[in-house]
Amino acid sequence: MTDHKLPIVYDNEKAAPDDDKAAPDSMSRRGFVKKVGDVSATSLLGTAALMTNTDDAEANTEWAEWFQGNYRLMSQEEKAAAVARLERRYSAEYDKKVTVDSTPAEKGVLFGYALNIQKCIGCRRCAKACVEENNQSRGDQEIEWIRVLKMEKGDFDASKMPDGYPDSYGIQVGGNAYSASGVVLEGEHYYEPEKVPEEDAFYMPIQCMQCEKPPCVKVCPVRTTYREPDGIVVVDYNWCIGCRMCIGACPYWARRFNWGEPKLPKKDMNPKTHYLGNRPRMKGVVEKCTFCVQRTRKGRYPACVEVCPVGARKFGNLLDPDSEVRRVLATKKVFRLKAEANTYPKFFYYMD
Amino acid sequence: MQTNKQVLTNMIVKESKIVAIFCLLILSLSSAAFAEDKVCFEAREGASSVTQKDIGEELKNVRCSDTTDGVLWWGDPFDGTQPMGDMPIEADYTHGEAVVKPRTTQLGLYPVCGLACHNGKFPPPVAADAPPRKLTMHTDLVPDALNLQHGKGGIWCLDCHDAKTRNKFVDNAGNLVDFNEPQKMCGKCHGQVYRAWRDGIHGKRIGEWASTGKKRWFVCTECHNPHDVQQGERKSGFAQLVPEPAPLLPKGMDNADHERHGSGH
Repeated sequence: MTDHKLPIVYDNEKAAPDDDKAAPDSMSRRGFVKKVGDVSATSLLGTAALMTNTDDAEANTEWAEWFQGNYRLMSQEEKAAAVARLERRYSAEYDKKVTVDSTPAEKGVLFGYALNIQKCIGCRRCAKACVEENNQSRGDQEIEWIRVLKMEKGDFDASKMPDGYPDSYGIQVGGNAYSASGVVLEGEHYYEPEKVPEEDAFYMPIQCMQCEKPPCVKVCPVRTTYREPDGIVVVDYNWCIGCRMCIGACPYWARRFNWGEPKLPKKDMNPKTHYLGNRPRMKGVVEKCTFCVQRTRKGRYPACVEVCPVGARKFGNLLDPDSEVRRVLATKKVFRLKAEANTYPKFFYYMD
Repeated sequence: MQTNKQVLTNMIVKESKIVAIFCLLILSLSSAAFAEDKVCFEAREGASSVTQKDIGEELKNVRCSDTTDGVLWWGDPFDGTQPMGDMPIEADYTHGEAVVKPRTTQLGLYPVCGLACHNGKFPPPVAADAPPRKLTMHTDLVPDALNLQHGKGGIWCLDCHDAKTRNKFVDNAGNLVDFNEPQKMCGKCHGQVYRAWRDGIHGKRIGEWASTGKKRWFVCTECHNPHDVQQGERKSGFAQLVPEPAPLLPKGMDNADHERHGSGH
């Protein structure tokens, strides 16, 4: 598939291409049978040995990926090997030097986010910046982690309250029947005015809330999604089986599924990646916002924070009283989305 | 000898002409190449623009939106910045390294402002308490100076711009303020907003998230237009923007009529 001859490090030394003719599958198979004595495992390993006989960098690294463990249970050496494997494959696939970072969480850091819902103008730059940064699929397989909802401004005019409900309106949730009742989480996703903000509208971006008690983590049957010590919830894409239980469990609609092979053009690919963050994903795995782990663990703001033209997005360390997010919590009116779900989100909405 | 000299000068003139033509050619070529570079705006359209360029490691200084020409992504958040200097009002808070992008490089009239037309003597300086009059120049910036919405009719040009040194602001104490430090000017009236900005909870910053980290601070005029603070009927400090395109519709869905509110259910 690829024309690029890259220095390939073979995980199975016996199957190096120099002696590819001398690495007969039958011999190794017999050896494996003696050692393991398990037919199904033998056939799997046999296939793996066959695949390493090719010159294809992708094939060579991919089979090893299939056999790697859960990222959390890997030793330092195994993590380094996994990262090196991915760097080789991505560099070949995207024609540029791709780095896969594995920086762990820093001690004394708990990431928190604050969004000024009064300032947001609904320009969707955050959603697009997120795609630029995090290597999501494009085109007809488009995936965006941030969704901006256009909401109607509620009207609690007491003089209209006794007017009752007109027949055609059906059952309403609270508020007044003739004009938009209060705020329910029912926004427009696909609004397309010439300019934003529109009159009589406000905008509510939603994304992963990085819950302290994440329901998605509770339901994952293979424990591939988990909370990191700095508070972000991550996915080891290689260990994900694509059951989508987490998508069902999330009250914030923060997770996305790769229904098809992700479409990421080479020129748009961001080569600075993290194993738990924006490295290119594969078909059949779940992905989500990680507060740009590849940036924030290196000190940078997340991409959505930087791009916001009105400065509505604030980010920082919740354990640092001088951080921007703590100053918001100390001085502004703050609420969390669906706080009653006891998920303890670390994503705060605020007003001036 | 003289003829020789003349010949020589003639040659020099000719050569210089050729050189000039070459220079022109190169200039036009380079400007053509320059025109191909993508220029996009950072926060407010028309207030601050940046030219896309490579910064190595397969990265660009900025990535721009194809649909709106807005910056979507900063490869180098500190490109073209300089230290912000002291905060105008001291406070007991810790802050890391603060940098800003100079505003004067973004202002088209700034290089001649204070020299060409307003040199301090001409036109004759107006007294600071002179009654407001209609502007004859700069109506592209301020269409109607007598109806300036900033300050709701309470202030006019010379309450911010110095009457003699036109390339500086003047604050209420008579101190000259540089165009690169509009926060020193705006903060005099907008104290509460200014304090929130100083604490990092108003306005835009890019760079490092740590409270002791290096950040590029966006100054007031990078987002707000001081000459058009009300945006007409909108009564908003921030001008409207063209939004990025809507997300992809779910498969099998042709339009988003199902979610349109207001026109009956």
